[in-house]
Amino acid sequence: MTGCDAIHRIPASVSQERVVEVAMFDAGYGINWQQKIAEKYTAEHAAEGIRVRVWGDQRVAEIVKPRILRGDPPEIIVITNIPMWLLVRAGKAYPFDSALDKPAYGADAPWRDTFIPGTLDTFSSGGKVYAIPGAFGAWCCWYDAKQFREHGWSVPKTWAQFDSLCDQIKAAGIAPIAFQGKYPYYAWSTYISLVQRCGGVAAINRINQIEPGAFSHPDAVWAARLLQDSAVKHFEPGAMAMTHTESQLEFVGGRAALIFCGVWLENEMKKSTPPGFEMRTFTVPAVEGGKGNPRLFNGQGGEFLFVPADSRHPDLALDFCRYLISPLNAASQGATSGAISPIKGGTKRETLSPALQSAMDMIEGAPGIFTERLTFLFVQWGDQNLVPAMSQLLRGEITPEAFCQRLDDGLTQIREHPVPGSPIPDYRPYDSAKFGESP
Amino acid sequence: MVSAIKSIVTYTILVVWLAAVVMPLVWVITNSLRSSQEIFRNPFGAPWLITGSPYVDEPTVPAPVQAVKENYQKAWVESHFSRYFANSVLVTTASLIGVLVLSAMASYALARFEFRGNRAIFLYFLSGLMIPAQLVLVPLFFQFTYLSRAGSWLLRPLGFELQLHDSFFGLIVIYIALSLPFTILVLTGFFKSLPGTLREAGIMDGCSEYGVFWFIMLPLSRPGLVTAAILNFLGIWNEYLFALVLINTPDKKTLPLGLASVSMQAQYRTDWGLMFAGFVIVMVPTLLVHLVLQRQLTRGITVGALKG
Amino acid sequence: MKMRKEQQVFVVSFLAPAFFLYTAFVAFPSVRALLYSLQKWDGLSIPEWVGLRNFYDLFGDSDLFVAALQHNLILMAFGGCFTLLLSLFFAALLHRRVRGATLFRVTFFFPNVISSVAISLLWVLLYSTTDFGVINGCLELIQRALVSANGHLSAWGLPQLPVIPFDLPFPFAGTKYLIYSIVPMIIWMSTGFYMVLFLAAMENIPETFYEAATLDGATEFRKFWHITLPLIREVLTVGLVFLVIGCLKLFDAVWIMENQWPQKESHVLATVLYQKVFTEYNVGYGSAVAVLLFVLVFLSTLLTLRLSRKEAIEY
Repeated sequence: MTGCDAIHRIPASVSQERVVEVAMFDAGYGINWQQKIAEKYTAEHAAEGIRVRVWGDQRVAEIVKPRILRGDPPEIIVITNIPMWLLVRAGKAYPFDSALDKPAYGADAPWRDTFIPGTLDTFSSGGKVYAIPGAFGAWCCWYDAKQFREHGWSVPKTWAQFDSLCDQIKAAGIAPIAFQGKYPYYAWSTYISLVQRCGGVAAINRINQIEPGAFSHPDAVWAARLLQDSAVKHFEPGAMAMTHTESQLEFVGGRAALIFCGVWLENEMKKSTPPGFEMRTFTVPAVEGGKGNPRLFNGQGGEFLFVPADSRHPDLALDFCRYLISPLNAASQGATSGAISPIKGGTKRETLSPALQSAMDMIEGAPGIFTERLTFLFVQWGDQNLVPAMSQLLRGEITPEAFCQRLDDGLTQIREHPVPGSPIPDYRPYDSAKFGESP
Repeated sequence: MVSAIKSIVTYTILVVWLAAVVMPLVWVITNSLRSSQEIFRNPFGAPWLITGSPYVDEPTVPAPVQAVKENYQKAWVESHFSRYFANSVLVTTASLIGVLVLSAMASYALARFEFRGNRAIFLYFLSGLMIPAQLVLVPLFFQFTYLSRAGSWLLRPLGFELQLHDSFFGLIVIYIALSLPFTILVLTGFFKSLPGTLREAGIMDGCSEYGVFWFIMLPLSRPGLVTAAILNFLGIWNEYLFALVLINTPDKKTLPLGLASVSMQAQYRTDWGLMFAGFVIVMVPTLLVHLVLQRQLTRGITVGALKG
Repeated sequence: MKMRKEQQVFVVSFLAPAFFLYTAFVAFPSVRALLYSLQKWDGLSIPEWVGLRNFYDLFGDSDLFVAALQHNLILMAFGGCFTLLLSLFFAALLHRRVRGATLFRVTFFFPNVISSVAISLLWVLLYSTTDFGVINGCLELIQRALVSANGHLSAWGLPQLPVIPFDLPFPFAGTKYLIYSIVPMIIWMSTGFYMVLFLAAMENIPETFYEAATLDGATEFRKFWHITLPLIREVLTVGLVFLVIGCLKLFDAVWIMENQWPQKESHVLATVLYQKVFTEYNVGYGSAVAVLLFVLVFLSTLLTLRLSRKEAIEY
């Protein structure tokens, strides 16, 4: 009887099939590519009885997080909002280093050296890497080139141009900016981009080093003011209640002309995008009088893969990771899932869609990338300080100064009451001069 | 004249609320009979199934009958509602049988026998009515881990392991345990209301105590059992929180879990017809039970409330 | 009466299974919850005893716990009161034996038997700011009618009607307004239940009471106030307890409507509990929330029962 499904027969011997279960948050990129590679890997290792099973949906966190807690996790987990550092601290994350030192599939170099510089740093601590990026994320603004042509609009280079473009769009009876209001983290990435445009990577360094007053610095407040200004003036009505899917549907439906999002947007909306919609990107515009180099962009590893220490087959899991994210398979990643590989030079331009090619213009033309690390380090700070403050800022309910003050207050608390046994990992500041900025 | 106005006002108020309750449900059912394209053009239209499609010649728009079939077929087969439905039926049936049998036994013993500690045990069970399920959620979660480990250790020599998490069995055990206090309350009251002479007559006729319970008392208590069964059915069929925490495998989801994830994917793919069909599949069993057994249900509510 | 040995065996064998299951899976975990709430534990490493520290943190956490508690109170105050009044009102109407009372009674009960997950998903659609949002659609129609009426009124030099003071479509299901938006949903789904409850109690009142009052020339309202209400007081109290407990335990609606990511503005106690334990791995804190939830349920039950006992009227 199926009601007695609590008792299982233990697999008779080791020669039986060993399953590597991969649980993925299925959002922007989908999971098709990973499933295909898993099939390939399974076929190659059929003799050893290894099978890789990739599954995922939008509610995967609900399922996987309790499973980690009860000591029966999947072998590989790809979920964004997981308390990674807590798991590292509790010894529940399996380090990747043994695999990183092995040669990469499809290249002679060790696996470690094939990644885009900086993308492995996000989850390293004490000389060990606890999660590796599964994709490369870049933040940009999206538009429909066809709509722009029809109305005679042009891509803005500066924030003032961006602002007046929004006015033109509004005058044409279209909402200027769609926004994923239910998840204010989407505005956070735009904000970080603006902080760099206003204050250069020096301002990003201040934030990442958790310096006192990092957000109350005039440059950070300036960025908050620009963001609030355009949110209040140009966000689509009702945007603050929309999920990412709803707002992005507004965008591909042509009811809103612009949307800030990561490079995964095109693939995420593939099924709902009408034919003839020419999705293109432009980078976050330069700010007049700002210190930042506008060719830099907010980018980092994304879709991190991590192997729980309680995994049944950690070594098999590591080997599949090394196979999945490798020079060997990087090219097919761009073609199948529309993701940009975290492997250096792994993505072949000609395999990409026109939309992603426009993103590649931004990526290839940049002397470097920058990113923030607070939301990964301090998940609670993000949920309890950043998210509510951001919603209020965007609705125009608090001043930019008050917004920045709240972020700083949260960080002060973290500085004064550090969680015992969890040192903040080292930080290598961005070099202004190398990035073409005057310090 | 005054009474005429009064009754008009009364009826207006009642009908307004009736509409507020029924209209959303009618909307759901109507939309489950329409293709996504149809819904997208006008979310509030009458189904083309009745009015006829204005797009007869357009090949991309499915014919109305086709749309209905497609919605339900997609929901039932592709989105695995058949699976979720079967799971819910299994979990609910097993839990109901378990809780009714155990409660009937305990209630009969408490209602019909006098012994030391009777009152104390009754109150011990009743105190469960004050315990919100959320209080035991977290400890039960960890308890399942420990029990599974201990059980696996015991069963290992036999070549088996125990996994209470992610199993119907674990979920059923919890549903039974959590439904005991209320069911015992209802059934104890019921057994107390049965004439005591019946048992003595049964004993005289040579029945054992078990025989009296099984052949005399249980059949007589059927109305009470039905009442308890309906109320527990509604609660267990619709339960979400414990299923959410305990069930992980997609194949083992119950209907509320399945609906939550399918509707998210359906909205993501803008497959509205499928989503509404899913709503209907979840709603229909409880609505049917309510319509068929509404008298018993009403009585159950009153009994439960008055005794509590 | 002393039991025979055989009877003792019978009673023990009949009580034991339920007793064991209840102890192992309800009573024992309840005590465990209390112990967890005194620990600092991430569910993964070794727990540490911290005394009442979690509770202290809880009340210091004005952004999360205190806000969530407020939200539960808001639900109780608005949802509870309106449900109570409305269901009492409908019960009183149907009690006067209108034709088709059964139809109304059965239909009003519909939402109560539907899965709360389905109801929450349905209301998200009703509240939507897109074309599906029938509520916003209706408000827009009303707004348009009001504006055009105001146009006519001003032409005649008459005072203006008030218009809807916010922009449409209004994001009802947005995080910031979610708690208030759940209130109508609660009323919609639970009024039927309480109506049936009260109606059953009213039907137990002997008809002679009303006949006597009618002879004295009492109005319908006076009859309701002086006869019906005092006589169903006990059931009314029970209804109130159910409502209070229901609003304290609410989880599904917020969890589903917020897409499993409630925020400070929309959390309720049960979602804080879930999030703390299962997504942030702060078991001690989460258990402290659970214990407080229990204490609140316990106190409100006790308080309401105490208040009603004192004034219960026998007939």
